[in-house]
Amino acid sequence: MTKQIEQIVELTSKAVPEVFQVMLSMDLNTVDPAVTPLDPAGEIVGSVGFTGEATGIVCLYASLNFAKTIASRMLGIEIAQVEGDEMVNDAFGELSNMVVGHVKSRLCDAGLPCTLTIPSIVRGENVRVEGSSQVGRRIIGFRNCEHYLLAEVLVKQNR
Amino acid sequence: MIVAKALKPYDCMVLEAEDGVAGLVMAKRNKPDVILLDYTMPVMDGFEALGRLRADPELKTTPVIMLTAEAGRNTVIKIANLGVRDYLIKPFKDELLIERVLRVVPLKLKSEAAERPKRFDDPIRILVLDDKPAIVAQIRGALTDTPWGVTDTDQPGQAFNRCLDPGADIVLASLSLPNDGAYTFFQELRHHANTAAIRVLGMSIRTATEEQARAQQAGFTGNISKPIDAEELRSKIARALKLENTYKFFKEFEGGLAMILPKNSHENFGEALLTRLDRLLGATVEAGGDRLVVDLSAVEEVDMEVVKLVISAIESCSKLSMKHTVVAKGAAKMVCRKFEDSNSWSFVDSLDEALSPAKQPGQ
Repeated sequence: MTKQIEQIVELTSKAVPEVFQVMLSMDLNTVDPAVTPLDPAGEIVGSVGFTGEATGIVCLYASLNFAKTIASRMLGIEIAQVEGDEMVNDAFGELSNMVVGHVKSRLCDAGLPCTLTIPSIVRGENVRVEGSSQVGRRIIGFRNCEHYLLAEVLVKQNR
Repeated sequence: MIVAKALKPYDCMVLEAEDGVAGLVMAKRNKPDVILLDYTMPVMDGFEALGRLRADPELKTTPVIMLTAEAGRNTVIKIANLGVRDYLIKPFKDELLIERVLRVVPLKLKSEAAERPKRFDDPIRILVLDDKPAIVAQIRGALTDTPWGVTDTDQPGQAFNRCLDPGADIVLASLSLPNDGAYTFFQELRHHANTAAIRVLGMSIRTATEEQARAQQAGFTGNISKPIDAEELRSKIARALKLENTYKFFKEFEGGLAMILPKNSHENFGEALLTRLDRLLGATVEAGGDRLVVDLSAVEEVDMEVVKLVISAIESCSKLSMKHTVVAKGAAKMVCRKFEDSNSWSFVDSLDEALSPAKQPGQ
């Protein structure tokens, strides 16, 4: 199962920058996730699960400010025009969906068919998703200028 | 949301639904030209929604472009077997979406599709929704000297159908129709993509302030008071439709331009009129004209402001070496004569006289 989680981590590492580049024209570089700072204003987490031959969840973490920037780029509007939580939640949820969809497509092509869940959004301060002991966990860090993004991959380990 | 953003520069209406169920209701109501259907949705996903669309006799031939974040071979095959016109894998650039939509429906950029603004002398289609024949008659009477067409009905359902076909530019709806008929009609209008943009003016007696407030809150464009005042009616229709009204006060004739002042004018009217006059005088000279006629015959009260306006207008035409004539008689002429500037003015009694080639204009 370690091989499976590494495979999914590698797919996620490629999917995140590609989706950001295509949808937002934003370049992301990989960074050590340990150095990503917490935003005192709070964070947003977009999660999409997958189930089938591979089962797990991918969570994207971003600061609320970064999420607002993402929403403005995705909608083609100024940041000041991004109003309320719903707009940001929808944009971040859609982005998460695209990332995990990208991963899922490659898994299916590699003989690991699975189905995606719809995206879910959580907001708060110092938010973290934790898996049980049967879950393998990896975190990937990304950075664009002053903005950081974490992608957390949790994969169910078969006995 | 990403679809709406990509289609923003184009002359099209984008209706969005959050899930398959809402999307089906919206499609049934609005009969879109193309449906962009997300594969992953809450409540009802794209696969099921497509099945329902294909089962509906009114929607089964509507072209569908599927959008999906899943590019696996099996998913693509599954989508292709659903009978969609095309599909797009997310993420995608706006240009790719537009290219795919263009394969299905023609799209024009908003700048290409922009129509010239309607003018006051264009044939505007006015639909009156009122159950009082006297009011309809007042409206027709108030608009006899315009090229605007008036049709009427007392049934909200019929009014909506007429807005769909043959169409209407503006609707005047009586707020006192039984069973809140005007509001029911208004809601129906706003829910349908082809009629959502039609302006609706409420009609009520002057003192029905609560009714007027309710209409305003509902989203009516404005209110017209009963009994109908012709000037108010024309003015409010013009404002609601943003009618270009330069030609309302100007009339071209062979050899020149006539500026016809209205009965009453609001603050800042003079400045706006003079700005338009300067533009039109230039065009008149370019076309070979050399005369300006200023018609004061309709003005209710010729006061200092009106005279100053005429002085400015004549100064403008003098700068272009144009001749001028002022149409005014009786009290209006006497008021003008009190001003030294008017000594050089040539007065006639009527516009017809001014436009007569035999008349000698002032210099």
